[in-house]
Amino acid sequence: MTPLHFEQLYEAEWTELEAQVRLILTGRSRQSNGVEPIRGDRVAALYRRACEHLALARARGYPRYMLDRLEKITGDAHQVIYQRREFGVHRLKRAVLYDFPRAVRSHAAYVWLSTALFMIPACVVGWLVYQNPDLILSVVDAGQAAEFEEMYSESDRSIGAVRDADSDWAMFGFYIEHNTSISFQCFASGIFFGVGSMFFLVMNGVFGGAIAGYLTERGLGETFWSFVVTHAAFELTAIVLSGAAGMRLGHALVSPGRHTRKQSLVLAARESMVIIYGVAVMLLIAAAIEAFWSSARWLPLPLKYSVAAGCWIAVLSYLTLQGRRAD
Amino acid sequence: MLDSIVAAETPEGIMLELHPAGLSARFCAFLIDWLIRLAVLYAAAFVAGLLGGIGIAFWLVLLFVLEWFYPVAFELGRGGATPGKRAMGLKVVMDNGLPVTPGASMTRNLLRVADFLPLGYGFAVISMLIRADGKRLGDIAAATLVVHQRRPAAKATLDMVTPLAPVHPLPARDQGAVIALAARAPTLTMERLNELAAIAAPIQGTEPRPEAEVTRRVLGVAQWLLGRRP
Repeated sequence: MTPLHFEQLYEAEWTELEAQVRLILTGRSRQSNGVEPIRGDRVAALYRRACEHLALARARGYPRYMLDRLEKITGDAHQVIYQRREFGVHRLKRAVLYDFPRAVRSHAAYVWLSTALFMIPACVVGWLVYQNPDLILSVVDAGQAAEFEEMYSESDRSIGAVRDADSDWAMFGFYIEHNTSISFQCFASGIFFGVGSMFFLVMNGVFGGAIAGYLTERGLGETFWSFVVTHAAFELTAIVLSGAAGMRLGHALVSPGRHTRKQSLVLAARESMVIIYGVAVMLLIAAAIEAFWSSARWLPLPLKYSVAAGCWIAVLSYLTLQGRRAD
Repeated sequence: MLDSIVAAETPEGIMLELHPAGLSARFCAFLIDWLIRLAVLYAAAFVAGLLGGIGIAFWLVLLFVLEWFYPVAFELGRGGATPGKRAMGLKVVMDNGLPVTPGASMTRNLLRVADFLPLGYGFAVISMLIRADGKRLGDIAAATLVVHQRRPAAKATLDMVTPLAPVHPLPARDQGAVIALAARAPTLTMERLNELAAIAAPIQGTEPRPEAEVTRRVLGVAQWLLGRRP
């Protein structure tokens, strides 16, 4: 059989498959204005035929243009036939009810390590700065320290002052942008053998601890703590969790077990992505609380603290208890 | 193998050839995407300025979304590529040639942060340069590839040459080589074509002939091998 004979013989099948695949890709599944409808069984059969033709054409050294055409046809059909759909309400519900809290628990060791890396520097530095406020200057410069002091003071420019709805919205945008970037940074830098995640966790811990210690010592504790404690339930947890996910990446590279380092990294990334989805949602909630609730100073303190306690209990019990029963 | 083709085997037992994109094509694609984002943000800043606080919130959220989800949204769309990549004829696929999954797209784009370090996508550049498949760190972790969407080769025509039977039967490999030469003929200079045709001269007979005649006869054999008859 010569190449041209081969082409003539199967040309019709290739054209049909091309047309069907194009139809699927342009998303017109219904018959409209005389276009032939998509037939799944026919696409599958034609695809398998085209694969045979490609194998034959390669083995017989047929001309390049024919191989190119067959490669394109089979490649496109392959993509259409084997693609995975991962969207949908059902899947989202499953992720919230089971996948996320389970993923967090199955990474418990990383989560504890991450918590320690964040909390220990925060507490130690916080206590040191509380004892000796001058130490704040080794974390931030004098200008920044004064700025923080003013933010939580009784003055008009403070964070708790009554502000209009507009600036609430502006702060919401700012918190989403800022906090998510910090959190994603904690995760992504884990690819450097986990060191990046550790660095950012410790750094954020030191920074937060220093500010908390300094403001408490300055007598602004009430404004500060009542402001941060509610959204911290979501925000700090999210940062700790993304650090944990980042260290999972790093650990997969350091100790790949029975996989190659690359395979191990791919598997770790797939697993830790579930945590990152959850983290993104938690950060969204945190930003909303931070912008619209935490800043409302006219709310009585007991109310704020009890809502905060409620948030902490809710987040921690969600992560530890949700989805334990078989679905 | 000298070239950087990655072969992905399908369940049907054929090899799909993927052509990974290199640093320069991907840099241009990135530059185009960056300019598009910049333009959108500038335009949005004008509108946001008029709206006050809500406008600022909208702008900051837009900044956040463009920064993290602009590539994800386009990669999961039909084309599998951001506008910049599409302009450069690139596409993101999984290692096995399938469309990129949502999880993989998120992974490769979140890990941009790591690729960006120490500055200006330093690690991404190093990784792309030392790897044959041109992956950056995000691609390695997500098991994705950025590939060239190839344009199919032009159909070999050369109808003006009279088909000519080869003087002896040719193995499939040689047949392929002769046909490939005929397909490339329009892109070669006359001198180079003569040189190459001279290598294949034995297939059109052994008696001495002028160079141009040999070339014409070799191309004729190619026509014969393709299946044309006088």
